Order: sequence, then structure tokens, then C-alpha cells
Amino acid sequence: MSEPCILIVEEDLLVRTPLAEYLRECGYLVLEASSAGDARTLLEDGSRRVDIVLAEVKSGEPSGFALASWVRAHLPNTQVVLAGTIATATEKAGDICQEGPALSKPYDHRLVLDYIQRLLAARDRNDRT
Amino acid sequence: MMVPQALLQPRPARILVVEDEVLVRALIAEELRLAGFDVIEADRADDALTYIGAGEQVDLVFSDIQTPGSLDGLQLAETLRDKYPDIPVILTSGNAPTRRVGIVEAFVPKPYDVTQTIALMSAILAQKSPGEPL
Repeated sequence: MSEPCILIVEEDLLVRTPLAEYLRECGYLVLEASSAGDARTLLEDGSRRVDIVLAEVKSGEPSGFALASWVRAHLPNTQVVLAGTIATATEKAGDICQEGPALSKPYDHRLVLDYIQRLLAARDRNDRT
Repeated sequence: MMVPQALLQPRPARILVVEDEVLVRALIAEELRLAGFDVIEADRADDALTYIGAGEQVDLVFSDIQTPGSLDGLQLAETLRDKYPDIPVILTSGNAPTRRVGIVEAFVPKPYDVTQTIALMSAILAQKSPGEPL
């Protein structure tokens, strides 16, 4: 049986990439979308069965809420996890990792949050210069 | 001095893929990961530049020319050539480029053969760092 698949929906590359890398190290196959629209394109394509959708609430237009409604209506076996903040998203990724196929967590999810915050701070510094 | 084991292990080459068509990006990203590469997925050239500017290591950029946002793939390549000349760039497009692409390592017309494109990336990376594991 292939590894379970998670679809991460997060607009910000500096947030999405560390979350995706963390979940890959937890043993999941991870698909990435930067918007709810792209997420729906991946889900409708159907070439990969997605077990969990981890989405930010905003995720552009349509919103994460609208995506969640669509998933519940069309893919009842796919679990949807919505997160409103980066901290919540990393915490939920930690919970998902806990139940993942790998034998143990590669590292604590709080390290992912620290890493994301360092990247965002570096971007802010670059934007100011 | 004790060194964490993870730091002793060779790091896989990291390829930044810039492609706004999510299905196209997901396909090449998955094949690259299966080939053993570390892959960063961006749908805009601006995001790719932000990622590199934040200090993250990238070994090769594979970018579509037509990308949404304030930069297209050619402008991304030009910026990388100025600021990060060690990062090789491969551009791709479904249309013939209207401006010069001579500043990049290679141009791959769409639709591209994924296996051949990955072989091209491997060859460019091997040229860049002979002897280092990819």
C-alpha cells in the first residue's frame, strides 16, 4: 500500500514549504497548492487519492471554508483540517505527524514554527532594504 | 568535536520549480522527488526570489517563462544571474521565447519529456559540482 497523501493548501511559500518538508519526513506523500482553487484542481484530477487536506482558512478565493465544504460533499473519505494561523497549522501538522506512517516524529513541530518565523523575518528584513 | 549525524550526510541537491499550472508542477515535482532531489514548489517567480532571498540554499532553478506576478521567468533568470550567479537556471515554455534566453543554462520547450528533463538537470548539477553527490 502506498503512503497516505496530504494536500497542503497555503498561499505563502515560506510557510508551505517547511510544513510540507516536515510532513514528508513524517512519512507522508505531500501535494502542495498555493490556493483553494489549485487544491480543487488537484483533487478533481484524481490521479492521487488524498487522505487529508490541511488548509489555511483564507487560501484566496474560494476560501478554505468553501474548499472544505466541497471536499465534504465530493470526497467524504478525505479529512479536512483547517488552520487560521501559522502556529495552528504547525500544531495540526504535529498532530498529523503523530499519527503518520513514520515510526517517530523527525523533530518537534515547534521547530517548524521557529523555522518559518525565521524565514518570514528574513523576508521582512529584505523588504525593508 | 561531536557533529550531528545529519550534518555529516550529503544533502540532496535542491531544485526550485517555478510553474503556475498546478498539475504540471505536481508532476515534475513528484518525479524529481522520486529521483532523489529535494524540491521546492513555487507558482510565481516573485516567490522563488523571496525564498532564495531569505537565505535558503537552492542548487538549480527550473522555471516557466510565463509566470504570474511582477516577474516572469526571464526576469527571474536575469535577477539570479546578477545576484546569485552560482545558481543555474533552466527555462521552459510552450511558446518560443520572444527575448533572449542565452543567459540561462538551457531552454526546454513544452511539452517536455520529464525523464529527459530530469537527466538534463542532473547533468547541469554534475557539471556545477563534479564529484559531489546529487
